[in-house]
This record gives sequence, structure tokens and C-alpha cells, in this order.
Amino acid sequence: MESAAIGSAVGIPFVAAALILAAPARWAEAWSYAAALATATFAVLLLGPVRGGAAPELDVLPIVPGLSLLFRVDALGLTFGLLASGLWIVTTLYSSGYVRGDRLKNRPRYFAAFAASIGAAMGIAFAGNLLTFFLFYEALTVATYPLVVHKETPEAFAAGRRYLLYVLGGGLPLLVAIAWTWTATGTLDFRPGGFLHGQASPQALSGLFALFMLGVGVKSAVMPLHTWLPAAMVAPTPVSALLHAVAVVKAGVFGAMRVIAYVFGPESLEGLEAPHVLAALCLATIAIGSLIALRQDNLKRRLAYSTIVHLSYIVLGAALTTPLGLVGSMMHMVNHGLAKITLFFCAGAIYATTHKENVSELRGLGRRMPWTFGAFTVASLGLMGLPGLCGFVGKLFLARGAIEAGNVFALVVMLGASLLTAGYLLPIVRIAFFPCPDAPGGEPLRREAAPAMLIPLVAAAVLVILFGLAPAIIDVQYGLAADVAGRVFGAAGGGAP
Amino acid sequence: MIDHLPVLMFLAPFLSALIVAALGLYVRGAASRLTLAALTATGVLSLVGLERVAAAGAIHSHMGGWPPPIGIEFVLDPLSAFVAAVVAVVALVTVAGSMASVRGELPGRETFYYSCVLLLVGGLMGILVTGDLFNLFVHLEVASLSAYALVAAGGRGAPRAALSYLLIGSLGASLYLLGVGFLYAGTGSLNMADVAGLIGGMDGRLRFVAGILIVGGLGIKMALFPLHVWMPSAYERSPAAAASLMAPLVTKVCAYALLRVLYWVWGGDLLREGILLELLAWGGAAAVVMGGVLALLQTDLRRLFAYSSVGQMGIVALGAGLANKAGMTGAILHIANDAVVKGVLFLAAGTALLRFSVRNVADLGRLRGRAPWTAAAVVVAGLSLVGVPPLGGFFGKWYVLTAAVAEGRWYFAAAIVAGSLASIVYVFRILQQILFAQPAGEDQAREGPAVAVLACLTLAAVVVLLGIGNERVVSLLVAQSLPGTLP
Repeated sequence: MESAAIGSAVGIPFVAAALILAAPARWAEAWSYAAALATATFAVLLLGPVRGGAAPELDVLPIVPGLSLLFRVDALGLTFGLLASGLWIVTTLYSSGYVRGDRLKNRPRYFAAFAASIGAAMGIAFAGNLLTFFLFYEALTVATYPLVVHKETPEAFAAGRRYLLYVLGGGLPLLVAIAWTWTATGTLDFRPGGFLHGQASPQALSGLFALFMLGVGVKSAVMPLHTWLPAAMVAPTPVSALLHAVAVVKAGVFGAMRVIAYVFGPESLEGLEAPHVLAALCLATIAIGSLIALRQDNLKRRLAYSTIVHLSYIVLGAALTTPLGLVGSMMHMVNHGLAKITLFFCAGAIYATTHKENVSELRGLGRRMPWTFGAFTVASLGLMGLPGLCGFVGKLFLARGAIEAGNVFALVVMLGASLLTAGYLLPIVRIAFFPCPDAPGGEPLRREAAPAMLIPLVAAAVLVILFGLAPAIIDVQYGLAADVAGRVFGAAGGGAP
Repeated sequence: MIDHLPVLMFLAPFLSALIVAALGLYVRGAASRLTLAALTATGVLSLVGLERVAAAGAIHSHMGGWPPPIGIEFVLDPLSAFVAAVVAVVALVTVAGSMASVRGELPGRETFYYSCVLLLVGGLMGILVTGDLFNLFVHLEVASLSAYALVAAGGRGAPRAALSYLLIGSLGASLYLLGVGFLYAGTGSLNMADVAGLIGGMDGRLRFVAGILIVGGLGIKMALFPLHVWMPSAYERSPAAAASLMAPLVTKVCAYALLRVLYWVWGGDLLREGILLELLAWGGAAAVVMGGVLALLQTDLRRLFAYSSVGQMGIVALGAGLANKAGMTGAILHIANDAVVKGVLFLAAGTALLRFSVRNVADLGRLRGRAPWTAAAVVVAGLSLVGVPPLGGFFGKWYVLTAAVAEGRWYFAAAIVAGSLASIVYVFRILQQILFAQPAGEDQAREGPAVAVLACLTLAAVVVLLGIGNERVVSLLVAQSLPGTLP
């Protein structure tokens, strides 16, 4: 039963993509809804067994002698799978509003590529070995390419070229690293606590770590490999929202966590410089990215740099190689996803109704679009890490992880960057709600985005609140994260957090 | 009967070539049908051979009943059976797929064209099944002469391209023959298995010279960088139908010949002492990088694909030069992959040229939305070329990469990475044009001829099958065809 659920959760989006292309164009959205609901349902079905401590498997077929296309659902994978499939539902609703507002052409291609991207993300989440992971990692890139160039402007094609070169190019070091791991150990199966310990010299492990991080570092946009992400913002906003704030970039940070915790493990990384170098790069990204975000006038670009910053928080938590840091990473992966998708939904709603995309043009729009900007405010505060909203818990654990690792510098940078998050998000709220007194007079018209956009936008904002307040949700989320940390570090002899 | 299978496999197209040439002069339209029948027969024979060899081991056949080393021996072993099956199937599909365009492209010369096609396929099959070094040369010449003629049949610039192909190709054949001469002088035999037993006792310097000559000669024939200069012009200028047959097969079969002579005559142990393998590996690595870079610079579609083949043949040479099981597996798989992938791409390029008058990558936008099925096949082939899993092209690279890493040769892994980066750029330059470019002009041309579309899709399906069925292909077919002396 569970293996059927795994197969369905990964397979349905791909089948949906084929159906959307084959069926008449007007059915594209219906297929997307059906597939999104079914995929999320199957992912939720897996929650019970995984919380019970099981790791359901599905061995599809052997691809290389000794290596299978293998899915194994554990707490880490399920967290990512639930995030991607759950947010696909809201994004589908939002997309159908957006494609009307923005008059997007080629809707079947759009929805099909979207479905295939989610299928690839599910495959990444549930992959049981590195080769399966790589297969879907590359599939995700290929499936998102049509979405990046969707507008078919020269600017979009330029962004698409950069996207492919970075992201497919980033796959190559990953492939070399996987081939190296395979020849060195004869296995590629993920194991909590890793399987590389004692299999290679420290120098080889450092080299391997560098190659792996080069591979997943592109999608997780760690500087200096980040420039594709702001460029990819030419894509339609729902794409930026789900793929370039959740699915694609989270595939990168998820890969970093997988590799650090399930390929290397704390034992083999002990005494190596490599994780410290990665942590330093993440800290630099957090600091520099925040400063760049402050100076962006284009709203989506500002959000993109904010994404870059928060992705590095997550990678940093894994690079600290402490149980609390890993818990913080997993929780922030989900929480940042919720907050950021809300922010992008708002940006898209603003663009679709007013065709404004710069922060400086938003003057006074808060009164016109109170629901949109209300949601924007909630998500901004959540991302800053205000207690009671979703960002707080993850950041708390990340901070505790930094203390656990004895890395006070990391703690200072993270706290400082939270202030900078306020510095680049709150002025938007201020401009929107409190325009200067000398603004042109007259009560502005109340004109919100279409309900198909407004409902998912508000729903996402409600999730931001629920993930910060509702004990049941936090319990499940923390339970999964603690399960991962317990297994990974339990294998190393450390206690569960 | 089954004992004669190897002979039948090359005699079927060869004799049909003579019949086509004779009959085609008198009966209109007979040439194409006869050719199709002969190639179907060759394909069936090859598949039967593959099945028999996989089930019951190699088939040896002695021409005229003379036992080797006196008579010429033909051998269908797992390696030749696998490559022959790929070659026969690709030949059948590409010839069938380009059939519709031959009449328009070569009016009044169909008989000539089809006899050359059959001679070419006969020569290639002969190279695959022969167990004799000199006989290999004969088949090589049969195949090459018909290839020169096919290139020369093209339009503007073709005679010049054919002439340079002829000159360089003849040089390659002569070098090979000279090398075989040295071997004969040293061992007194031409039978491969026989020479393999005697070569250890041969004078080392003589053997070295023979090796250099043979690697050089076959290197020219397989377009191994920097000996590839004949190829891009030849496949750019030849008739589209001929290019879609030659580009997938000729260099691949010559690469097979090199593997055959090196690993089945020299043998792995002798090779590891000398520098031939190093030469091959470095040449391969250079080809991977330079093939990619040169493909980037091309504007002509078929020229671009030809340079892409330079890179792919580099992977084959690199895998063979690394001399371990993974490397050879990758080399053999990549021979099959590139044959099938280039079949799709050259057929599609033919459709682009003949239906849409598109020669250059920059004009491919005219196809947008007009040839969806051809475009779908090109997407599959292109992604396989980049090495996106789970398509066939990924696995060839994967095995060669693991071979390079296992030997600790990082620079070779880096070369594969560089070549792949280049392929990302040139493949997506094409895909972007056919999938997204703004359509230029309002010409109403639609999808290519049905047979061409069907052929493209068939080969694209093979690309997918070679990928997701890789475990089966490797463990049932390729693993048996590795030479026994590899670590």
C-alpha cells in the first residue's frame, strides 16, 4: 500500500503533465487541480507510517547493474514532499487566476511544465539513493526551463540560457561526485549518519564534499553561484513563487542536507575543514545578500535576494553538523517556503492588478489592496522571525544550533540578518500603508486582485500564522525534524535534541 | 544454416546492391523497394544473430570451408552481434525514413543512390563480422568508396567535400593497411585470433609501428580529433538522405574496428605496457572538449551535429583508452547511443532542409509548432546528447566517468564535464529555436513526410529504451562483449 502511495505521489504529476499536453487546452487547469490534490493526498497518507518510524520503500527497476531507481520515504524527504505537493494546490488556484490577469499564452505548456516540475521535486524528496536523486534533480531543471522562458522575450531567453548553464552545469560536479562515491564505496544508498565514514582519506573526503556542494550549491544559490536566481525572476510570478522560492531552490538545500547528513554524516565530517568553509560561504551570502536586497527597487528581485539569504540560513544549519542546527534547517526550509510563497503571491497580485513591479511605485497601494498588503505584512513579519509566526521556531533552532556548535560569529550574523530582513521588507509595508502626506489626495479606489489569486494568497498567510501558533502543526513538523536529527546524530553516538 | 549467419549478414545487402544496380535500370521504383527488403532482411538476420549469440555464444563461419588461419573467418561474437544489431536497425530506419525525400533530392539517380546505400551497409556489416585483418580493410574500402560517392552526389560544395573526404579517407585506409602489413610481416598471419596468439612474440618496434599506423588509420576513419577534418564538410554537403545514413553509422563502425583490433589482437595486457591506450585516451579527451567547443561555433545545423559526433566519439575513445570494464562498457554503449541519436538528428535536419529550407540553427524558428512530432524526437535526442538521465546518452557518460574516477584520472573527468557543458549550450540553442522562437514568415509547410516522422520517433524510442533498459542492455549484452583481459 505504501509503495503504491510513493509511486502515485511521484508518478501522478508526470502523468498529469502528459495529459495536459494531450487533452484540449481548456482542461489544463482541471487536470492540474486533480493531480495536485491527489499528489498531496498520497503524500499525507505516507505521514502516518513515517511518523511511526517506518521508511517505506519502492524499488522501481534496476538502472545500472547494482543500482536501482529506488524511492525511500523518510522524515526528511516527506517534509520536502509535503511542502512541495501541499503548496502546489494553492499555487494551482493562484495560477489560474494569474494566467487570466496576465493573459499568459500557451497555458497547456505552462501547466504541464509546472506539473512535471512538481513530479521531479517529489522524486527528489523520495529518492532513496544518489543516482535516483540525480535523475530527478536534472529532470527538475529541464522541466522548469520552459517556465523560465515562458514569456518568450529576449530577456527571458537570456535568463533561460543562464539558468540552464548554471543549473545543468551545476549538475556536472554533482555527477562526478556521485561517480566518485560509487567507485569508492560501491553503494549510493542514503543512510542516516552517512556511509562515507572510513571509506576515503580526509583529502578525498574534502574534495568530494567540495564537488557535492558545488553541485547542490547552484540550486541553493549560495554565493557566488547565485546569479541565476534573480535573473530567473523574469518568469511568471507563480513560477517564481512555487519553483524559485520553494521547489527548485529547496531541492538544492534539501540536497545539501541529504548529502551532509545521509552521505557524509557527522562522523566523516569531523575534523574536516570543508564544512567550515561551506558555513563561511553561507554566512557571507547571508550578509552580502541582505545588503544587496536592501538596494533592490524591483519587488521580485528584492524577494529573490531575500530567498538567497534564507536559503543560506538553511544550508548553514546543515553545515553546522549539530542536531539542533539540522532541526532548525528542516523547520526553516518549510517556514521560509510558506512565508516566501505568500510574499511572491502578493507581488504577483500587485502586478496583475496594477502592473507595478517596483517598490517605489507601491505608494499608497495598501489602502487599495488591504488583503494583499495585510498578507504581505504577516509574511514579512514571519520571515523576520517574529514569535508567534512561522519563521520564529526555525530561526530559534538555528540559533541554538550555532550555540551548540560554538559558533558565536554565525549567531551574530544570523541575528543581524534578521534585522536586515526587517530593513528590506518593512519599508515596503510602510510605503504601501503610510504614504507621505504630500501624496496626491483623494480616496483611492478599493480594487483587490481577482478572488482566484486573493484566496490562495490569504490562505498562505493563514498558514504562516498557523505554522507559528498551532501546536498540532508545530508538533508534527518538529517531530519529523527531531526524528531526522535523532537518526543522523544517534548513529554518531550523540543524543537526540 | 545458423553457421553462415555472419556471412549472410553482409552478403544480403551486398548482393542486393548488385541486383538493385542491374534491375533498377529497367524497372522504375524497384530500387527503393528492393533496398527496403534487403535492409529488412539484414535487420532480421542481425537480430536473430544477437539472440543466438546471447543464448549460445559466438558463431564462427569459414568462407568456402577453409579453416582459419588459411581461409577467411567470420565471427559473430557478443560485441559484433550487439553493434551489428544497432547498425542494421539504424540503417533500416534511417533509409526508410529518408526514402520520401530521395526522389526530390536526387531525381533520376535513385538507382545509383540505393546501390551505394546497400554497398555501404554491406561494407559496414562486413567490418563488423570479419575475423580477418585484411578482410576488414576490404570491407572498409567498400564502405568508404560508396560513402565518397554518396557525399559527391550532394549539391553545391559537395564535390569538394567528397574530394577531401576521399583523400583523407584513403590516407586512413592506407595507414591501416600498412599497419596490417607490419603485423603480417611479424606474425605471418592475418586472422585476428591467430595474430593475437602470435603478437607477443613479435619484434617490439615492429609491433609499435604497426600499432601507431592502425590507430592513426582507424582514428581518421572514426573522426578522432584532430583527425576529424574530413567529416563536418562531408556530412554538411552530402544529400540529406545520405547524411542521415552515414553520419550515424560510418564513424561508429570504424570506432568498433579500432576496439576490435586493439583489444582482440593486441589484447589488454600488451596494450597496458605500450602508449597506444594513452594516445587513445588523450585523443579522446581532446575530442570531447574540442568537439564541444567547435560545435558551439557552428551555424550550419548538420555541421554542428557532425562536430557533436567528434565529441561523442571522443567519449568512446576515452572509455576505450581507460582500459577497465567500466570504460569499455561506456565506450560500447556510447557507440550505440550516438548511432541512434545522430539518426534522429540528421533525419530531423533533413526534414528542416527539405521541408522548410532551413540550413542554419538561427533559422530553425521557422519549424516552431509546424513539426511537433519531429520536434519531440529532437528534444529526446538532444537531452540524451547532453546526458540527461535516464536517456541513453547519460549512461555512456556515466560509465566512462566512473572509469576515469576509478583510475584517479581527474583531468579526464574534467574533460567530460567541459564537453557536457558545451553540449548544454549547443543543444539548448537548437531546442530554444524549435520550441520557443518567434515564428518567422507564414509559410504553411507542415510536418515532414510521414515515414521520416515515424523514423525519428522510432529512434527516439530506442534512445529512451537504451536508457531505462540500461541495466538489461549492460548485463545481458554488453557485459558479455567485454574483452576478457580487463581489470
